[in-house]
Amino acid sequence: MANMKFYCDAERCIECNACVTACKNENEVPWGVNRRRVVTIKDGEPGERSLSVACMHCADAPCAAVCPVDCFYTTEDGVVLHDKDICIGCGYCFYACPFGAPQFPKAGAFASRGKMDKCTFCAGGPKETGSADEHRMYGSNRLAEGKLPLCAEMCSTKALLAGDANVISDIYRKRVINRGASVLDWGVNYDKASLRAPRTTSGKATGEG
Amino acid sequence: MWISKVHDLKATLFLLAILTFGLALPVGAEPPPPPESPIAVPNPASDLWRAVRQRSPMPHSVTQVEGVDTAQMINTSGETFRQYRRQDFVGAAGWLLVGVPVAILLFYVIRGRIRIPGGRSGRVIERFPDYDRTIHWFTALLFIFLALTGLTLLFGRFVILPLFGPEAFSVIASASKEGHNLFGPLFPLAVLLLFIRWAVRNLPAGRDLVWLFKGGGIIGNAHVSAGFFNAGEKIWFWSVIVLGIVVSVSGLILVFPVFGQGRDIMQLALVVHGIATVVFIAFSFGHIYIGTIGSEGSFEGMKNGYVDEAWAKTHHDLWYEQVKAGKPIDMAVPRDVPELHEDEHPGVASTEKA
Repeated sequence: MANMKFYCDAERCIECNACVTACKNENEVPWGVNRRRVVTIKDGEPGERSLSVACMHCADAPCAAVCPVDCFYTTEDGVVLHDKDICIGCGYCFYACPFGAPQFPKAGAFASRGKMDKCTFCAGGPKETGSADEHRMYGSNRLAEGKLPLCAEMCSTKALLAGDANVISDIYRKRVINRGASVLDWGVNYDKASLRAPRTTSGKATGEG
Repeated sequence: MWISKVHDLKATLFLLAILTFGLALPVGAEPPPPPESPIAVPNPASDLWRAVRQRSPMPHSVTQVEGVDTAQMINTSGETFRQYRRQDFVGAAGWLLVGVPVAILLFYVIRGRIRIPGGRSGRVIERFPDYDRTIHWFTALLFIFLALTGLTLLFGRFVILPLFGPEAFSVIASASKEGHNLFGPLFPLAVLLLFIRWAVRNLPAGRDLVWLFKGGGIIGNAHVSAGFFNAGEKIWFWSVIVLGIVVSVSGLILVFPVFGQGRDIMQLALVVHGIATVVFIAFSFGHIYIGTIGSEGSFEGMKNGYVDEAWAKTHHDLWYEQVKAGKPIDMAVPRDVPELHEDEHPGVASTEKA
């Protein structure tokens, strides 16, 4: 089974917000809910970087730890999902999440919180796979169709990567090698050489980079 | 490969140097200089990511997604909140809320019920008029409801969920949350009404120290003087006011997430709300005990408004004398009470009324 992860390459993200738009469109999320957002630091200054942020599907998810009704679960693919039939909209997951992923539609009187909504890695939810209920409550289930999350699939610069952690880290590793070894001194930082370039690589990595 | 080998060699030599020379050096001598950083060009992004993790001042950040805190990339306090919630708070709160009733039970077993010495007189005097009892029970019922719904949200996952399963517990928890949020905002009103009605009578007096020093007569049978409210009741009253304000303010921050309050403020509010309410509930156990089975004759004062004269003489002798004299002394009695007692002779009513 795969262990699904997102990775956003800050050297590539151009802050186009297409991932945000694609996500909203694909999953038809309620008004005011953004499962993904692009954060730009040092905007307009030297060293400006942008990152697309959403649920990172933590292996040990803080949201699941603090949830008073225990509505979170991790799929076989390592995707953290939650059951909206069980969620009570208390907001504790939002306090604990490192990435600000949980979103709350303003449901009741005084804009009180409705049931939480967050990135599902385009893996739907606990309803029957492909059903109308699943799409209405959780959005697309692209994973079941053999597709990856749309945000990453359509990223124009391939800054946002989604997929199995091993594959993602391979791709990123090649990129880093391509960018020049001076950026990271492998011999010092990664003494165990787990991330060192393959023997066949000299200077440029082969394949996409 | 060769880099690491050279590096290992350097490290070994360095260690050797420390072992041979370091021990021989006199105390206070210059330590050997630290090895130079072998990274000639450090990762240019490392400073940036340190800043993002907020280990150093956070650089300015923006996002096009509207909302509070959306421009914050990493919420570093989230993990602290999680640790606090799961590791520290749930366990400590559980022990406190189990420990206090156990302690009270032990006290009851050892000390037993505090009786009225010499038994009841058969005559009653009015202690809490209708209005006083109304605001008391309004607060009390609200408090119990909010405590039960709040504790369901705090402990339900560990206590109720395993018993009834996630679906049934979700219904209970959802009802608890909605009920808690709906009735919670009434609690500040209850605290305000209590404050307006009883604050003056609960002002500290010199004799309160004596009362406290003697342990309120709870242990042993020493006679202790008290006015309308004794020092124990005053401490409870001011605890209700202070904890009530803390709980109300933190609760209002949480229940209306529409005033632009950020995640950190709401985290803090939840931490404060949790601690204050658990302490509040633990305190209330003591109040409920002493007001019901702990002390003979106390409950009827809040039940029908009248207490036995012997009870009043034992626990609130100064107030009893004031009522008997038919005049207010040092604000210990509300102004309307003496008049009321003058109408139907000085505070005496028939036994049947009780």
